[in-house]
Amino acid sequence: MKQPILEVRKLQKSFGGLRALDGINLDIHEGEVVGLIGPNGAGKTALLNTVTGFYRATGGTILFQNQDITHRPMHEIGRLGIGRTFQNIRLFRRMTVLENALVAFRPFADHPLRSLIAYRERRMAIARAMHWLELLQLADKVDRIASSLSYGDARRLEIARALVGEPSLLLLDEPAAGMNENETRRLVDDIAIVRRHVRAIVLIEHDMDLIRSLSDRLVAMDYGRKIVEGASAEVLNHPEVLKAYLGTDTEETVS
Amino acid sequence: MLVGLLINGLVSGALYALVAVGFTLVIGVLDKLNFAHPEVLMIGGFVAVVASGLPPYYAFIAAFATGGLLGLVVEFAAFRRFTDADAKITAGLASMAVGLVLTDLTQKVFGTESVSLPIGGGWLSRRFQIAGVEFLNVQIVIVLATAILTGGLHVLLQRTRVGRQIRAVAESPVSASLLGVNVLRVSQAVFFVSSALAAEAGLLLALRSGAASSDIGLTFGLKALAIMAIGGLGDLRGAMLGGLVIGVLEAFMFHLGLGRLSELTVWLAMIVTLMVRPRGLFSSGTHGLEQRA
Amino acid sequence: MISDQLFFTGINVLLAWSVYIGLVTGSLSFAQGAFMAFGCYGAGVLTVKFGWPLLPACLVSAILSAMIAAVLGYPALRLRGVYLILVTIGITFCARVALENIDYVGGVGGFGGMRGADLNAVIVAVLIVGAFLLWFSFSPLQRICDAVREDDRVASSLAINVTFIRLLGFSAGAAIAAIAGALYGHYMNFVRPESFDVLLSIYVVLYVVLGGTNNMLGPLIGATLMTLLPEYFRVLAEWRPTVFGLAILAMLLFRPLGLLAFRLVTAHASVSAPRKSGSL
Repeated sequence: MKQPILEVRKLQKSFGGLRALDGINLDIHEGEVVGLIGPNGAGKTALLNTVTGFYRATGGTILFQNQDITHRPMHEIGRLGIGRTFQNIRLFRRMTVLENALVAFRPFADHPLRSLIAYRERRMAIARAMHWLELLQLADKVDRIASSLSYGDARRLEIARALVGEPSLLLLDEPAAGMNENETRRLVDDIAIVRRHVRAIVLIEHDMDLIRSLSDRLVAMDYGRKIVEGASAEVLNHPEVLKAYLGTDTEETVS
Repeated sequence: MLVGLLINGLVSGALYALVAVGFTLVIGVLDKLNFAHPEVLMIGGFVAVVASGLPPYYAFIAAFATGGLLGLVVEFAAFRRFTDADAKITAGLASMAVGLVLTDLTQKVFGTESVSLPIGGGWLSRRFQIAGVEFLNVQIVIVLATAILTGGLHVLLQRTRVGRQIRAVAESPVSASLLGVNVLRVSQAVFFVSSALAAEAGLLLALRSGAASSDIGLTFGLKALAIMAIGGLGDLRGAMLGGLVIGVLEAFMFHLGLGRLSELTVWLAMIVTLMVRPRGLFSSGTHGLEQRA
Repeated sequence: MISDQLFFTGINVLLAWSVYIGLVTGSLSFAQGAFMAFGCYGAGVLTVKFGWPLLPACLVSAILSAMIAAVLGYPALRLRGVYLILVTIGITFCARVALENIDYVGGVGGFGGMRGADLNAVIVAVLIVGAFLLWFSFSPLQRICDAVREDDRVASSLAINVTFIRLLGFSAGAAIAAIAGALYGHYMNFVRPESFDVLLSIYVVLYVVLGGTNNMLGPLIGATLMTLLPEYFRVLAEWRPTVFGLAILAMLLFRPLGLLAFRLVTAHASVSAPRKSGSL
């Protein structure tokens, strides 16, 4: 079997006495969409935050495309090709839609001083940003201020922004949270398109329909550990998973 | 001689501590820096000028009241309305603006030159000896006043209802208000008390130096701000200890002819402390007010 | 004298811009007094003691000042908010006291003999710095700085080196303040360490707060108004700190983004780019 893109080994993260991640192992392979499920507080977002360098791991290792990124600063991890969105949408609210997408344009982000004189690349940057904005159906809103976007549009802009950075691995943290049924259906189509442009996607989601229709594989977490891993039907009906959900918050399974 | 230096140092240190405690009280409870604080100290000095003909305890009461009322004004003008995400910075800037106004108004009334107090040769500047060590009456007054004021603050915070409420807000303003604490009242109390202490320090400082001066806020007052940061933002014990340590250190530096470097030492110490141990030099985890990151 | 007033306006505009350029990357600096002092004394030593012409002395002191800012900023800019304000105030104090103790440049007594700066020099400096800031305002770098200022963690997840951007802003601000200091010293012919007091740093920051922190014109307006208006209205001159303080309070309450609050957009989709019409 080919080497995974992302290898998480015995990863630990604790805050004071609280263990958010308790020695978790995870492999993400080329071409996969992996759904990450589990009750609130299971450590899903903590895992994403530790992989992207948002949190500093207290133990274990993270290999991304064979490189150890465990203690690398965030921007270096971004440069190596991990992109992400946030559970609570974090756009640059005072910028326009287009500017939000442009911030992620790698030649500028990597060499900010050179961007002052890189006139030819400016047109290229706009073209790249427009490409992803069109793909996510935001092309007619490019000059709007980000804070004026509807919830669904804001979510999609966050994904578009991450994609402008041309990541190989895309981490989506509850992309459908707060969306209505219509918006969620559109999102499923969007992510289906997006997956052709990145090497792998990891998806945290509570909407079980969405996760079933998108993921090739599910990983269920609880108490900072992986409890079950496998095909979605298998994982969703696994007694451990049911117990984890029923034991905490039954709402989460509904949808 | 050594003892004399030590006493001199402790007397300055007590004054630093009085001002630093006020800074730290506001930042510990409300998480904001009060840049008008040094100017309240400065005005305390002019209370000494105004009250110079009266019996000394009138001056102490007047300084306490003036400082407290100014504290309420500062709270109203520069702190109350700023509650959004940037409030820490905004309130700091607003209190700087209030400081400018206070200084300007004081200078309009008393002029820009320092005003000397008619106490030369009076009771305060009389000396006496105990076991071969010479004391000035004013030194005793300063030490006693500081002890009474900080002791009073301790009792207020630990033994009274207001004190409990202040500590509750310091720990978490949200849960305190959920428990029915009136955060506005607490905030007013904190400003009243801290500013009253600053004005008393200004009064004592003027009594010791025999003059009141409108630039004392930017020199002595800001040095107390640095001392507060050395002691740890929001750390009452750190502010007290920091004040005394720096006071004594300065006295010895002056004695060794290094007086010109003492100010540099304080500010460098503050910079290094903030970079290396932002919680303060003396932080051990347990002190009067809870700290927030 | 009108040329005096214009000269000081120019100096204050440069200083306000030096604060602004740090603010663009999210760092509020009260260290401008220190960098101005460094520029003034640095360039002064080069012209007075080594006989350099003003222009190279100015540039060298600006570059050195930027380098010092980078060294100080590396540990200091990890601190945010109130802590950064305290540290930068500390830097201003340290610079002043240090200069008071260096006899080579006159210590407390002051340092004299610098000459050669006139109104034209400051006009040229304002034009050059202004043109640079305008160019910067429409560049991708402005956008990257805005991103760092608004949400540094998201910016770093987008491959932006936040530490580098912050150091860049702090150092560029230090360089501009140093130029202002050099010109000031060579205009006044004589300076004392206390000319670069913390009060100066406070005033400069408040110019920017008054004028606006969102675009390069705000600091220009703020500094110009606060320097020139008192010259024409006697009441203002007499009550300058009070009026200024009350104006700042009113501004923070009612117009927290300053007189000129707009933000310049750094990019528009070109007309030729394909656009989808329809849904909205």
